[in-house]
Amino acid sequence: MKREVAAEIVDSLKDAGVDFVATLTEANLHDLVMALGADKAIHHVPVTREEEGIGICAGAYLGGKKPAMVMMNAGFLLSTNALATVCIHPGIPVLMLIGHSGGVGEENAGHATVGALTEPVLQAMHIVYEKVGRFEDIRPTIRDSQMLARSSRRPTAIVLNKQALR
Amino acid sequence: MKRYDCLRAIAPHFGEELVVTNLGAVRHEWQALRPHHGNYHLQNLGLTSSMALGLALALPRRRVVAFDGDGSLLLNLGSLATIANRHPKNLIHIVFDNECYESSRGAPTATAGQADLAAVARGCGFANVITVKTLVEFEQGFLRALKSKDLYFILAKVEAGVGDVPAAALDSQENKYLFVRYIEKSENVKILSSTLSRAGEPRAK
Repeated sequence: MKREVAAEIVDSLKDAGVDFVATLTEANLHDLVMALGADKAIHHVPVTREEEGIGICAGAYLGGKKPAMVMMNAGFLLSTNALATVCIHPGIPVLMLIGHSGGVGEENAGHATVGALTEPVLQAMHIVYEKVGRFEDIRPTIRDSQMLARSSRRPTAIVLNKQALR
Repeated sequence: MKRYDCLRAIAPHFGEELVVTNLGAVRHEWQALRPHHGNYHLQNLGLTSSMALGLALALPRRRVVAFDGDGSLLLNLGSLATIANRHPKNLIHIVFDNECYESSRGAPTATAGQADLAAVARGCGFANVITVKTLVEFEQGFLRALKSKDLYFILAKVEAGVGDVPAAALDSQENKYLFVRYIEKSENVKILSSTLSRAGEPRAK
């Protein structure tokens, strides 16, 4: 991810009211994770496993924070039970920013299956999501996805494709 | 030492502390002993420690107590590394270790073998780690943690067994709303958004 894209995401999260972000890094997310860690206005919690991050975000929400989770799609797939039991069942919102390995533009054959499963699993879980690649779409999509998460008391997702991640 | 007796021993010491309970009988036992809107009963095995961490980081002036279990924490050992690195001074992480999956008919967990969760916590960087095997040790350990105002990990080695209490009459959505409304009121924050009616706006012509 280019540094200006990472900076735009961090600034858009703050604009949308997000003040607490759990992350699990990956090569494509490195600049975003480092930028989140350096930002004084965001409480950044690096986690060891993505579903742990979903639990931390849910707890932070109960304590009055506006949380988001940054992870790759492999981590989203790992988090499905956590999302179902901790967020969707009681009605707790978490904005998820999900890097889309194995989506359009993927050069690594090893990511193809996880890439193909990502959207069907989001749909199966009835999680509303938007796919973002263009720079100018980042800010309005983060604002609107966070708005829906808060008003619906449900997790929402932004799937960052290769255009955003490169 | 039984978990219910441990909970009964410390319940009188609770004021406005927030509690996150693990999946299983502990939620019913605690709700019977200390019915309070500051109890959050998690319907997930594994994330009790993580929910409690998120809550403790969001509300650093409130004491948060997690009632975790061995089967749950074994699913989420990495959370100990995350908690130790964040070091929330307002969190007390209690693990009732009965060495079995009690709510799933009692097959042994890894702590019935070689695993020592207190050693894992120490290795992850917890400075205050205690293992207790009697009721007196448990109550004293809890009071020490409560007075210390620092992060504590308490491993309570308990026998399997469930307290004779009724099922807690709270479903997950109800529990969430009661907990959130309690936090909103006690912390003077707004968590749940509400939408104004548009009935007062001028009518379109």
